Amino acid sequence: MSENPKNPENPENPKNPENPENPENPENPENPENSENSENPENPDSREPESSEASKSSEGAKAASVTSGTQREDVPAPAVPVVAGPAPAPEPSGRRRLVAALWPPRVTRAQLIVALLLFVLGLGLAIQVSSTSDNSALRGARQEDLVRILDELDDRTQRLEDEKARLEKQRTELESSSDQAEEARKQTQEKEQQLGILAGTVAAEGPGITLTVGDPTGAVESDMLLDAIQELRAAGAEAIQVNGVRVVADSYFTGSGNDMRIDGTKVAPPYVFKVIGKPEDLEPALNIPGGVVQTLEKEQATATVERSAKIVVDALRPAKRPDYAQSSSQ
Amino acid sequence: MIAVLGLIVGVVVGLLVRPEVPAVVEPYLPIAVVAALDAVFGGLRAMLDGIFVDKVFVVSFLSNVVVAALIVFLGDKLGVGAQLSTGVVVVLGIRIFSNAAAIRRHVFRA
Repeated sequence: MSENPKNPENPENPKNPENPENPENPENPENPENSENSENPENPDSREPESSEASKSSEGAKAASVTSGTQREDVPAPAVPVVAGPAPAPEPSGRRRLVAALWPPRVTRAQLIVALLLFVLGLGLAIQVSSTSDNSALRGARQEDLVRILDELDDRTQRLEDEKARLEKQRTELESSSDQAEEARKQTQEKEQQLGILAGTVAAEGPGITLTVGDPTGAVESDMLLDAIQELRAAGAEAIQVNGVRVVADSYFTGSGNDMRIDGTKVAPPYVFKVIGKPEDLEPALNIPGGVVQTLEKEQATATVERSAKIVVDALRPAKRPDYAQSSSQ
Repeated sequence: MIAVLGLIVGVVVGLLVRPEVPAVVEPYLPIAVVAALDAVFGGLRAMLDGIFVDKVFVVSFLSNVVVAALIVFLGDKLGVGAQLSTGVVVVLGIRIFSNAAAIRRHVFRA
């Protein structure tokens, strides 16, 4: 039935078994049986060439040189019904052949040889699979691939080494620069402290003297206080405050008597000078004949000087930014 | 049946023993295995077609393996080993597929 589309032109066509090679043909499975069955009654001998044709066409890789005679001998189970061709026994289907080949097990030369080859195949398969899964991809890699991978690794190593050297250099630079920055910061801080003492923005303490000027009669003038400051500075005073007012470079004294002002801040007698400096220099500078103390006492004011190991000058001034004067260094 | 047993025993022995493959053979083993697989599928199909011959199977098995290894070897010498082994695998794969299709038609009639 299924061979009808082809056979009507040539019923004896021995090429019919070629059909199994055509994967698209859905009727293929029936073809070998039916075609042979239909031919059997008419011409049992025709099956011989047809089978050999089938072997050539469908098993071209191996069976091309095989004659049908050897097939009959070598394939016992499937061949039996075929050899019993005169009886109208149906050609065994592939499925039946498979079952017949599998069970019952027969120890024949063919089975043993095939078993040996399949053993080798299984061995190779297992070795390959285990060696592929065991190890990294490198094991199965070819030589040129390995060389390429090695080259890539070398390149990568080189790149990473370069990067490492670069980063190390950068780190050294940063460390040294941070050292420098730290040093500069320290120096700046020291300078800030020194300048802060001069500018009156930080408190100061150290040995010095305390000069107390009493003014019971209101006779003390601002220039007398200024003279005292000048004298103290000449003797090396480093930080001065008068009644809570820090005396710095731009301090000024105005007024007199009961309206004495220093830097615009009113101060009342007695005027207490806290001076940091070398007491041995400061005290004689005030007490020299014709000096500050004598001048004040001549004006009916009182002046007492006492040395102290620790004078605290804690009156502060806000830091002032000059509006016009700019540093000409740099 | 014995043939199937041989295959199973081979796999089991290969997995258990894990023999060390000599380095010379190593690049050819995968190709040889694929070629042998092709021969096995061809043999199975021939058996289902009722035209199986053990001699042919042996010869085709061995020649498939040898030719595949030879092609790869030649490719290595010519510097196109990777491409050539890819080609061999493709060709063998196509043959395996067509054989498998024939087997399928025999076994499942579809």
